[in-house]
Amino acid sequence: MSNVSIIIQREFNERVRKKSFIISTVLMPVLMLLLMAAPALIMQFSRGEEKLIAVIDESGLVAPQLEDGEELRFETVSLQTDEARRQLTDRFGVLWIGADILANPSAVKLYANGSSSLTIEQAITGRIERILEAEKLKAYNIENLQQILDEVDTHVVMQTFRNDRSQEDESQADSSIVATAAGFILGMILYMFLLMYGAMVMQSVIEEKQNRVLEVMVSSVRPFQLMLGKILGVAAVAVVQVLIWGVLLVVLGAFVMPLMLPEEVLAGAQAMQQGMPDASAVAGVDPDMLQAVAAVTDVGYIAKLFGCLLLFVFGGYLLYSAMFAAVGSAVDNVQDTQQFQLPITLPIILALLVMMTVIKDPSSPLAFWCSMIPFTSPIVMMARVPYGIPWWEVVLSLAILYASFVAMVWLAAKIYRVGIFMYGKKPSFKELAKWVRYKY
Amino acid sequence: MNLLTVEHVTKQYAGHKALDDVSLTIPKGSVYGLLGPNGAGKTTLIRIINRITAPDAGRVLLGDREIAPDDVYRIGYLPEERGLYKKMKVGEQAVFFARLKGLSRREAVVRLKQWFVKFGIEGWWDKKIEELSKGMAQKVQFIVTVLHEPELLIFDEPFSGFDPINANLLKDEILALRDKGATIIFSTHNMSSVEEICDHITLIDKSHNILSGNVDEIRRRHGSNIFEVAYRGDEAALRAALTGRCEILDGAEEQSVYRTLRLHVGDDAGVRAVIAAANGAVDLRSFREIIPSMNDIFIRAVNGAL
Repeated sequence: MSNVSIIIQREFNERVRKKSFIISTVLMPVLMLLLMAAPALIMQFSRGEEKLIAVIDESGLVAPQLEDGEELRFETVSLQTDEARRQLTDRFGVLWIGADILANPSAVKLYANGSSSLTIEQAITGRIERILEAEKLKAYNIENLQQILDEVDTHVVMQTFRNDRSQEDESQADSSIVATAAGFILGMILYMFLLMYGAMVMQSVIEEKQNRVLEVMVSSVRPFQLMLGKILGVAAVAVVQVLIWGVLLVVLGAFVMPLMLPEEVLAGAQAMQQGMPDASAVAGVDPDMLQAVAAVTDVGYIAKLFGCLLLFVFGGYLLYSAMFAAVGSAVDNVQDTQQFQLPITLPIILALLVMMTVIKDPSSPLAFWCSMIPFTSPIVMMARVPYGIPWWEVVLSLAILYASFVAMVWLAAKIYRVGIFMYGKKPSFKELAKWVRYKY
Repeated sequence: MNLLTVEHVTKQYAGHKALDDVSLTIPKGSVYGLLGPNGAGKTTLIRIINRITAPDAGRVLLGDREIAPDDVYRIGYLPEERGLYKKMKVGEQAVFFARLKGLSRREAVVRLKQWFVKFGIEGWWDKKIEELSKGMAQKVQFIVTVLHEPELLIFDEPFSGFDPINANLLKDEILALRDKGATIIFSTHNMSSVEEICDHITLIDKSHNILSGNVDEIRRRHGSNIFEVAYRGDEAALRAALTGRCEILDGAEEQSVYRTLRLHVGDDAGVRAVIAAANGAVDLRSFREIIPSMNDIFIRAVNGAL
């Protein structure tokens, strides 16, 4: 068995067995789900108790028609305003509606016993507006008014298709909401992996140098094998982590989600997957929501995204970890790495910034070029993939990425080979360049 | 027969020459001392033999052919700066290094168990290196170095960090390995250990090989014909008897049992005459040549006084 594979095994086993790996692998998807569910949860908890509002309606028009909401409850009282304000301090507030409310819509006052909020105020004015509008319409004495109103009420549903990909096929609806969300999440995952696993390689090289294990190791293996083994070993860890997450997501999307969603939504989503664009109208559900569900429960779509994710995580990681390994070999301790890390982290952060604009406009020239330049391509390309870009772009981007990995490993190995035996003085960039030219 | 031959090896680093035209031959089955002050180029030479770096000029032969990549399996190297993975368990780690040296996992485990019993450390298998003391970790490192039973063993300061008992244990193991046919290169500053276990030495100073050869022969060669006579009797009578036959170096030192006198004698014929004369004058108890210690030779050689 070759030495590289023995080293890969060690690197892999050491990391996968660590508690931190198991915890982060399991916890990460849970955290992500929590993050996605957070807005809903916050709403749930911030709903608070019911607010009781006393209504003094001098017009007599509004109060009978005021509907109670989830948070608001209305109670008509027959007190004078002054009395009500003095006596009913246990209510959320006293709502006064003037007698000439139809002619004068500003004859509404809310005496709140405490701080009011914009949401509550809008809820109240909204209700009053609807009641007044209905009252005004009534004044025209139109026959069958209710029927006409019901017929007039319209809700537009628009679906977007990709004309550049197929002029006939209408089975694949395009959801920009899903693509944007997926692009953002995938870009972030890439960003996280590049930094996290790259830094892991760097730290491990420094540790070996500090422990002086390197001296023992290089008497059995060539420095290049050692570096490659470490990079690939850590890569295996990253791939396993992505795979575990992928399986979790597919299971969650394809099996758990259907159990939790209402039946008509699911039926609509299925209809949409099978190419019935008017599915949402049938189901009477918001089409964006339906498309999101259709995408998340579509195993093929998720598998395609994950295939790309794996390839880009792997390639991007290889490229960056080679650089991180070279930096690790050049210094004696983690504190000294900062000046060398900057040129590595800069393109990653740049890619993240570009990604933010790319998810809004995935076919701009900026998006194209940044997904070809190997230093930014993993993050930027991954953010574009959910939009369905031409496959040749993906292939070209991957080819450039993997080719530059080979070049980078060759370069990094030269620095690594010299660096691992250099102790003491922190080298300068000039010296690193000199190391590359050393003959061994 | 020579196991290792170094021929005209030169190695240049940016700014300075680490080795300049160094040649040496290491006989099979010997313990070969590689001596020299700090920074002389010993570690560079060891790294070249280990194929960690390549020489700029010259070559290294293992047996009768140039050393090849696969020859690392025939070499065991214990560097001066010891290093093991701190978080890894002792047994697992030893198996890892053994596999890098070409042993199968099963073979490695069998041999390791034997060594662990020999060193009395059976209980350490599942301990992490960071739980061991420095000396304990050194034992593990020694085992890792010799486990694949290489033909050539390179020890760089193997005794540093060991207490006398363990140092002795280690020395016995090193000599046992030699008796089993291994050739050992032994790099050190500790001259008394050189006298004890080395058969041959090379002294490297300022990138050059300045002294090479058999230890006993070198010591004899660098003896300066100084003799010490131990006797009972009258010092004045002895001095009188020896006058003209040799140069008397120092006065008698009062010792508990015998008196002694140091002499410088010109040649072997003179030695016989001196002994005869001394024997007539006093009760002679011993007469021996003072052979310089390796320590003296080392210091004199490095100071250019040889």
